[in-house]
Amino acid sequence: MHPGYDEVLVRLKDHLQKVAGKGKQFSDDTDLVSQLGLDSVKVLDLIMEVEDEFDISIPMNVLTEVHTVRDLAEAIAQLRSRH
Amino acid sequence: MNWQPTSTRNSQPQRLADFGTLSEALDYAALGTTGSNFYDARGELRETLPYSELRQRAVVTARQLIGLGLMRGERIAIVADTDPNFMVIFFACQYAGLVPYAMPVPVNLGSHNIYVQQLRGLLQGGEASAAVAPAEYLGFLEEAAEGLLSLRWRGTTEQLRAREAARVELSPTRLDEPAYLQFTSGSTRFPQGVVITQKAVMSNLRGIVRTGLEVKPDDRCASWLPYYHDMGLVGFVLGPVVSQVSVDYLRTRDFAVRPLQWLRIISRNRCTIAFSPPFGFELCARRVRGSDLATLNLSCWRAAGVGAEMIRPPILESFASRLAPAGFDARAFLPCYGLAEASLAVSFPALGSGVEVMDVDASRLSEQGLVIQVESGSGRTNSFVNCGEPLPGHEVAVVDDAGNPVGDARHGRVLVRGPSLMQGYLNNNESTARVMLAGGWLDTGDLGYLHQGHLYITGRAHDVIIVNGRNIRAQDLEDLAENQPEVRSGDASAFALTDAAGIPAVVIVVECRLAEQAARQALVVRLQRLVYEGFGVRCMVELVASHTLPRTSSGKLSRAAARQGFVQRAGWDQPPIAEAVSG
Repeated sequence: MHPGYDEVLVRLKDHLQKVAGKGKQFSDDTDLVSQLGLDSVKVLDLIMEVEDEFDISIPMNVLTEVHTVRDLAEAIAQLRSRH
Repeated sequence: MNWQPTSTRNSQPQRLADFGTLSEALDYAALGTTGSNFYDARGELRETLPYSELRQRAVVTARQLIGLGLMRGERIAIVADTDPNFMVIFFACQYAGLVPYAMPVPVNLGSHNIYVQQLRGLLQGGEASAAVAPAEYLGFLEEAAEGLLSLRWRGTTEQLRAREAARVELSPTRLDEPAYLQFTSGSTRFPQGVVITQKAVMSNLRGIVRTGLEVKPDDRCASWLPYYHDMGLVGFVLGPVVSQVSVDYLRTRDFAVRPLQWLRIISRNRCTIAFSPPFGFELCARRVRGSDLATLNLSCWRAAGVGAEMIRPPILESFASRLAPAGFDARAFLPCYGLAEASLAVSFPALGSGVEVMDVDASRLSEQGLVIQVESGSGRTNSFVNCGEPLPGHEVAVVDDAGNPVGDARHGRVLVRGPSLMQGYLNNNESTARVMLAGGWLDTGDLGYLHQGHLYITGRAHDVIIVNGRNIRAQDLEDLAENQPEVRSGDASAFALTDAAGIPAVVIVVECRLAEQAARQALVVRLQRLVYEGFGVRCMVELVASHTLPRTSSGKLSRAAARQGFVQRAGWDQPPIAEAVSG
């Protein structure tokens, strides 16, 4: 697991909650699409928020590997460390 | 670095697509000062490619491609991200007598596997002899290419650039030779490669830039449309080259995340021509804030083309009213009709007329095929958009199920005839014969009617579901469901609906024997995830008992009947022509 992971996860969860809707429950292993119910437009909203929050750009070839909350947090942590 | 975008005004007199071939068009464009500009997600100019440089690089690359041992007419597949390299390789093929085709970049979360399958289908479908990808997508290409013997070379653009150029006289693609292949979107398992000759695409481009858009020397284009779609490629890569117009590009992914960047580019660079499927306008309207309006001036935007999916007027109305304070003029809307099998465009309305909506009696239409104009809001009505008149040299006809022409204001299948039509589908005589009819007519697969010579599209005759600009074949969704171990072949039916709020929805109904709730739930969730990964849409999955789905006499499922059954079970009030309003 990447060093910045925990911090990223905390901040990411705020945005997830906002995009997915209040009251939605999720864990690190929740699938963003099938379990959290993010449609393609919500996914775009989430990416925009995440990119602004962490000041990164998430390339498509990274997003193709993202299924769960954990996958996304790890991808963000990794991209940030490259700065 | 201090970049300047290429100028709007050219140093050379404008010539509007009066060229025989694309390479001749670029030869001329290269004499001027206009070209392509590439913007990043933050709206910064990241690269420029004047047409003079495009030609120079394309000629060198043409020799490098020939140096790979490729023979005239062989196909080259390009993973088409919005960058200068795509344009260079595409035009290199024009100079080398090779046939390029664009493959998509991945667009969905978690789509690695399905994307690799998609690429593989395209490599096979186009019988590519070589394939090129930007470095970040090479891994996917390698995976997709595994064991494909016909693919003799694959690599990145940088690797191609390092190859030795063959010292040969270049012999560009001729009039009757294929200029490129265009794969019709949607079908992952059986992608259809539309073969477009130089003659066809040049004739279409002439119609677009002269008649459809009446391009002028002070025009400038802006586009986020993917290069692997016909509107992105023909409309906004080839169109600007053949009319020597400068164009500003934004990556599709960057547009999708930050749609307002498109508007900012139009505003800042005073762009006059920019097209989008309706959902692009919808994304913008959804995101724009009051504070954005003050920074935008869209009064320059004279041709806001709309196409590629069914047009729902409320989306455009909402965009126009949101952006009116920023100078957007609703009369700039230009709802067009076209399809890849006709190169790109079939019909354009008159410039400056905006969206003309016709309200018709819904039951007379669905029951008798009669188009009766009514006042909006009087009883059950369908609203259709005027897509204008066919381009010069092209004809549109509407026919009944038996293929006989129907009169004005009669509903039927839309046929097109003219010089822009494809040669056929690559290596697929059966599919070609199904759509290329006697007398030179192409069956578009769309339904519609003509009213006073103007074309109105009402839906798809075939089972293609169009959501958010994506064409999804119902068959592909059904295949995906039937590939699940719990589902038997022929037990799934997919279709589109519009829910009570007017939102299009994709539905898959599956006959399934599973009794246990957890197992049923697992199947539903898995299908939804697979559909999302593969097609980028959320879908509803309904599991029903065996023998619930209605079958035709040949034992096949009837999608129309399955849809009707679903609507009854769900208690929805659904107009019979679902796609007409669902887009």
